[in-house]
Amino acid sequence: MGMEKTDILVGIASFNNARTIGHVVKAVDAGLVKYFPDKKAVIVNSDGGSTDGTPDIVRTATHDHAAIFLSHPVYPAHRISIPYNGIPGKGSAFRAIFQKAVEMGAEACCVVDADLRSITPEWIELLLSPIMKEGFDFVAPFYSRHKYDGTITNSIVYPMTQALYGKRIRQPIGGEFGFSGKLAAFYLTQNVWESHVARFGIDIWMTTEAIANDFKVCQTFLGAKIHDPRDPGADLSDMLVQVVVTLFNLTEKHYEKWKGIKGSMDVPAFGFRYHVGLEPVRVNIERMLGIFRTGIRDLGPIWLKILGSGDFGEIEAIGKLSGKAFRFPPKLWTGILYDYAIAYHKRLISSEHLIKSLLPLYLGKTASFIMEVEDMDNEGAEAEIERLCMEFGEKKEYLVNNWREGGA
Amino acid sequence: MSDFHQTDPIITLHRLGRAGLERIESEMVEFSKQRPIALVLPALYTEFQGEAIKGIIEELKKVKYIREIVLTLGRAKEEEFKKVKEFMSQIPYEVKIIHNEGKRIQEIYATLDRNGLWAGEDGKGRSAWIAYGYILANGVSDAIALHDCDIVTYNREMLARLCYPVANPNIDVVFCKGFYSRITDRMHGRVTRLLMTPLLRALQKLVGSNPFLLFLDSFRYPLAGEFCMIADVARTNRIPWDWGLEVGVLAEVFRNYSPRRVCQVDIADNYEHKHQPLSAEDAQKGLMRMCVDICKSIFRILAAEGIVLSDSFFKSLQVAYIRLAEDIMVKYEADAAINGLVFDRHEEAMAIEAFANAMQRAAEAFMGKPMGTPLIPNWNRVTSAIPGILSMLKKAVDEDNR
Amino acid sequence: MEGFVDVMFQPLEDFWRGFISFVPNLLVMIFIFILGFLFAWVIGILLKRVLAVVKFDIWCDRVGLTALIRKGDVWAKPSEVFVRILYWFLVILFIMIGLTALQLPTIDNLISQFFVYIPRAFSALLILIAGYLFAGFLSRAVLIAAVNSGYHYAKILAEAVRLLLVVLILAMALEQLQIAPGIVVAAFSLLFGGIVLALAIAFGVGGIDAAKRIIEKGGEEKKEETGEKGRDIEHL
Repeated sequence: MGMEKTDILVGIASFNNARTIGHVVKAVDAGLVKYFPDKKAVIVNSDGGSTDGTPDIVRTATHDHAAIFLSHPVYPAHRISIPYNGIPGKGSAFRAIFQKAVEMGAEACCVVDADLRSITPEWIELLLSPIMKEGFDFVAPFYSRHKYDGTITNSIVYPMTQALYGKRIRQPIGGEFGFSGKLAAFYLTQNVWESHVARFGIDIWMTTEAIANDFKVCQTFLGAKIHDPRDPGADLSDMLVQVVVTLFNLTEKHYEKWKGIKGSMDVPAFGFRYHVGLEPVRVNIERMLGIFRTGIRDLGPIWLKILGSGDFGEIEAIGKLSGKAFRFPPKLWTGILYDYAIAYHKRLISSEHLIKSLLPLYLGKTASFIMEVEDMDNEGAEAEIERLCMEFGEKKEYLVNNWREGGA
Repeated sequence: MSDFHQTDPIITLHRLGRAGLERIESEMVEFSKQRPIALVLPALYTEFQGEAIKGIIEELKKVKYIREIVLTLGRAKEEEFKKVKEFMSQIPYEVKIIHNEGKRIQEIYATLDRNGLWAGEDGKGRSAWIAYGYILANGVSDAIALHDCDIVTYNREMLARLCYPVANPNIDVVFCKGFYSRITDRMHGRVTRLLMTPLLRALQKLVGSNPFLLFLDSFRYPLAGEFCMIADVARTNRIPWDWGLEVGVLAEVFRNYSPRRVCQVDIADNYEHKHQPLSAEDAQKGLMRMCVDICKSIFRILAAEGIVLSDSFFKSLQVAYIRLAEDIMVKYEADAAINGLVFDRHEEAMAIEAFANAMQRAAEAFMGKPMGTPLIPNWNRVTSAIPGILSMLKKAVDEDNR
Repeated sequence: MEGFVDVMFQPLEDFWRGFISFVPNLLVMIFIFILGFLFAWVIGILLKRVLAVVKFDIWCDRVGLTALIRKGDVWAKPSEVFVRILYWFLVILFIMIGLTALQLPTIDNLISQFFVYIPRAFSALLILIAGYLFAGFLSRAVLIAAVNSGYHYAKILAEAVRLLLVVLILAMALEQLQIAPGIVVAAFSLLFGGIVLALAIAFGVGGIDAAKRIIEKGGEEKKEETGEKGRDIEHL
């Protein structure tokens, strides 16, 4: 394809994204021209075998740079489309991108979703500058999200990650990341590409491996993230399994690292934080509570085995609360999640069944959170989440103590 | 009659006004419907050859609010166990006896041991712990009370007052410790008076204000063997199996619960049990062993709280302790004088010396092996390591009692 | 006169001859018995050592096998129980072999039938164990999936699945053991068919309303979608 070396690599994973990828490529291109005009750059499209002509659009999308900038690019960004092998999913696509990054000796890289509607050229600068100019290895995104969105992040991944590794990366499952070539090379040395990491687990994996292996991490504010509605057929329980299994696997792997860490600190943040008006979000609380209560009734024996009768008794008690009075205490949720992590570590029951049995509890917690923050603004909701993080931090000792005694 | 002074941070329940055994017992019967109570009696076979146990059983026969009694029997052979079973059958409600030396329970201990969950040496700590396990396995009781079987001045009011704070839903207490004065013709309770109190005060002088020390100091009789707790405490607490048991239990309660949910209750006007001979030479015997274990427990807990214990610390502690102990001895002497009690200054001073010695040994043991903690794992951990252990235990006890 | 004596002693002679030819076999049998006891004893000791090294007891504790044994009021260590079972199995085996040394046709017949039966009993046992585990695993998978999808009758569904599988497993095991095969097949068919029929009736009758609601709701949802603002919550 011509180019052998590059300074910057921008990766876009795609599968049948012809509708939206053009805009993304144009924004990336503009960003590269505007902010890194004197650097060699390449846009790599890792495609899963699209049938709607996505790779062609990548190649041909152009933007009239003269209309928006005054300078001309020294090196126009080349574009490459590569298919990827392995399990169909974002992770496999990223692996191909990492490989290209290492092959071409890229200094700074970033990945963006192919269905982003809200991407601007500024995103490129925000994701790459910390690496190029400040020497960071990993840039996590920070979006302005609706207070109801991202509950898996807000109630599981963020509190647990900050309690375990001591770094407060607010949105570890972002979707857009910046990373150095050095980090890309490290990612490639890990043998995870046949697991859940290859699908929904890739984001949490990238973030956690960067933190746990002492790379320099930061986060950057990107504004709102608007993308095409994801396939509603994506099974929630499947998503939960992939993310949580990856999370627990990483927790097992890095036990020696996190067991001694106490407290957590902020990571450096870039970007100018502003509030964005967000579209309303529909929630079906009744359905969530219905599943939660069915879970108490039918999954009781399993939960009893994992959580013990003390916590299970509490769950039964809150199951009896009705309507607006329903609240899921943060302390209880923390205990539950740590007990699940321990149960996973000890292989109490098949890991797929284990994590799937978490779903009704997760829905109960989500319903409670939604009702709690219904009348609050974003700050209020954030404060609730920080409160939860404190519980995770305080109870960490429990996890450490119960972990090392009698592993699988 | 006592005053109604409240110290921080725990709740203190005094004997005020006239004792009302009927009233308190009828209230207990009501409470126990919502919160069934189990009574654990740790006993050695030799105590069944004494007099105290007969009085205790006579009183227990008349109690109507206890759901089950679990007698955990130590140092008894097969025939002795049978005799105890027969003796206990006079109680009209459910009694289960745990035969610690029996084949079944020994096998349970062996199972725990080979899985790395050693329950400690044969002693009160282990016996009580296995009783808690049985109560958890049985699953009917929500609260657990415990007292010794060598109380000569036992009466039902003690038990009622002990259980009341935990059973009463309006008093939201998770743990309740008994206290009393031990007076005959003289003051007893040497270890509490002359070791614990001055030691805690000395530690506070050296360490400064420490929540745990304040907590421990607020107990009027921290070494009392009588307490009542909710079953959840039995599930989560790790207790020492040596003589540091009482202090260890208090420390675990402090760690896991808010002090506002802990109370102490005055359970008797007078309390009398068997005495331990004090042998200053052989630290292994009698009270000396107890003192060393108690001091070790306290040192370990303080270290876990983040206090640095060094050689110089222990030296200062020794000096401060002796000073405070001598001061407090003078106070006790005055108290004895006004109440016409016998007070032997020489004996008290010798005890202080012996205790200082014990503290020295404890300090040495601690410095040599700070993590040498004889803590029994808590039941939550045991059940997660060996599934079915509780049903095994229940089966063992039920079969032994058939 | 001599003829009479001959006739009288003939049976004794016959008996004596028979006895002489029988004794070596008897001795062989006894020898095999003794060998068997010794062999079983030695194997027992070796096995005990091996089990100690591989921490068999601890494994049994953690997997719940110990709890199972204790239910039968057996309080020996799991390894001891196992060794004991194996010991007696070997002893019986050697007794069988010893009996063949007698070379008595009826006994030979019985023994060979016994040996033919052992592998069958073994495979039946395997079917039972594997089948039981599988039934538990599958029914739990069904239970969790159904609960997560919001079905109210999740537990019934899971139990029905387990029941069907258990019936199947039992029938398979019995068939292996060749215990009244014809009756087993008939009974199994009746039972299995009966359960399926019952389920169909239950869901059919009870489900009419549910089905109606689902169909109606589907139409309503379509209307809702166009009218209501906003999008669904994003969990991830």
